[in-house]
Amino acid sequence: MYNLRRFILKHHFVILFILLEVISILLLARSQNFHRNRLVSGTNVVVGNIHEMGSDVGGYFHLRQANKQLAEENALLRKQISVVTDTATNTYTLLDHDTIYEYIPARVVNNSTGMANNYIVINKGKVDGIKRDMGVISSEGIVGVVTDVSLHYASVMSLLHSKSFVGVRFKNSQQLASLRWNTGNYRFGMVEDIPTHVELHKGDTVLTSSYSFIFPEDMMVGTVEDPSVSSTDALNKAEIRFATNFATLRHVYVIHNLHKPELDSLKANFLDK
Amino acid sequence: MNKTLLNIIRFVVLVLAQVLLVNHIRLGGYVHPYIYVIFIMLLSVTMPKWQVLTLGFVLGFCVDMFTGTPGLHAGATTLMAFCRPSVLRLVSGHQKLENVHEPNIGQLGGPWFLRYVACLVLVHHFALFFLESFSFRLLGQVFLRIVLSVPVSVFLIMMILYLFDLGKKKESH
Repeated sequence: MYNLRRFILKHHFVILFILLEVISILLLARSQNFHRNRLVSGTNVVVGNIHEMGSDVGGYFHLRQANKQLAEENALLRKQISVVTDTATNTYTLLDHDTIYEYIPARVVNNSTGMANNYIVINKGKVDGIKRDMGVISSEGIVGVVTDVSLHYASVMSLLHSKSFVGVRFKNSQQLASLRWNTGNYRFGMVEDIPTHVELHKGDTVLTSSYSFIFPEDMMVGTVEDPSVSSTDALNKAEIRFATNFATLRHVYVIHNLHKPELDSLKANFLDK
Repeated sequence: MNKTLLNIIRFVVLVLAQVLLVNHIRLGGYVHPYIYVIFIMLLSVTMPKWQVLTLGFVLGFCVDMFTGTPGLHAGATTLMAFCRPSVLRLVSGHQKLENVHEPNIGQLGGPWFLRYVACLVLVHHFALFFLESFSFRLLGQVFLRIVLSVPVSVFLIMMILYLFDLGKKKESH
């Protein structure tokens, strides 16, 4: 016992170092799971408030750009409405129960783009109806998936994450593929699992596929930048340029799929059998 | 007591400066400067080593709360605090640190400080970017981040230190 005490006193510096490193790595390993520790996910009230103060100040410098973006989006939506009202006339009216997706506007209060695993914190939380696994989009394209929710904030796993995975579709060929991020550059993602017979060209549009319950079908993802990324597999890869500019991200929408409980219960039944 | 207060102020200011300003610097996606480690660099040389270690962990953990990465910065700053005594010995050589309490440019000179800052920043960034990728799959990217971020961090830290030392000199004259 005496020897143990002497040993600890003699090597207390190294022992404390190892202890603290083990704690750090355990915390880090746990946070690599999809569901993360609330205290340190950037969604607790004190941290959220400080971030929001910072983004309030920073926001003024981007007002002009934000305005322009919102105006462009408005114009696009107006155009789409006119098409719908033209074709719908009297035979079809939009009813509440026809709406599958609801959009909850939110503001980005913290964001990173340069890490191997990037997260975004937004200023809407449980009280605003945000739940885990909801999709997040910007007016330019898709952004990520909600991974953690506190009362007033939520943290979003950005597309710029080593575990990010989205089902996508090429607009021209209808070919399904999957989007990952391993380029290290916040402008570019990698579409994988493309059969070799599919011809790709620079500038081809990539959209979300209909098999995702997180994003609505045909949401903008990006455009093909480099179709000739060689691969030893039987399947091709292509580098795409994200439609969303993650570095200037400010206003986003969280997607609430009203049919999700129904789809989930169907899926659960399927898995049971 | 006065010194404790100064350290607390430094701690808060550096963490806030890091998470509200420096974290928003984006130069091509690979450059990620970190300046909050100044806190560890400026701690008194005579402070017990275990205290430096604990403060390093706490500092990193506070930054982690903001960036949403539990254990990441804490691990890196702990390693940095662990290496500080060796780095102090390494960069000092024959120079004696006996009558130096707090490392400062005025007493130790610019070149000494540059070496000191560069060594510690390298240790910190190395640990940070490796822990962050949490795998050896993306080695190339990790090295690119380290190589590009270290010079920027060192430059920013030296600039901040020079600015503060200038302030001190003006007060004393």
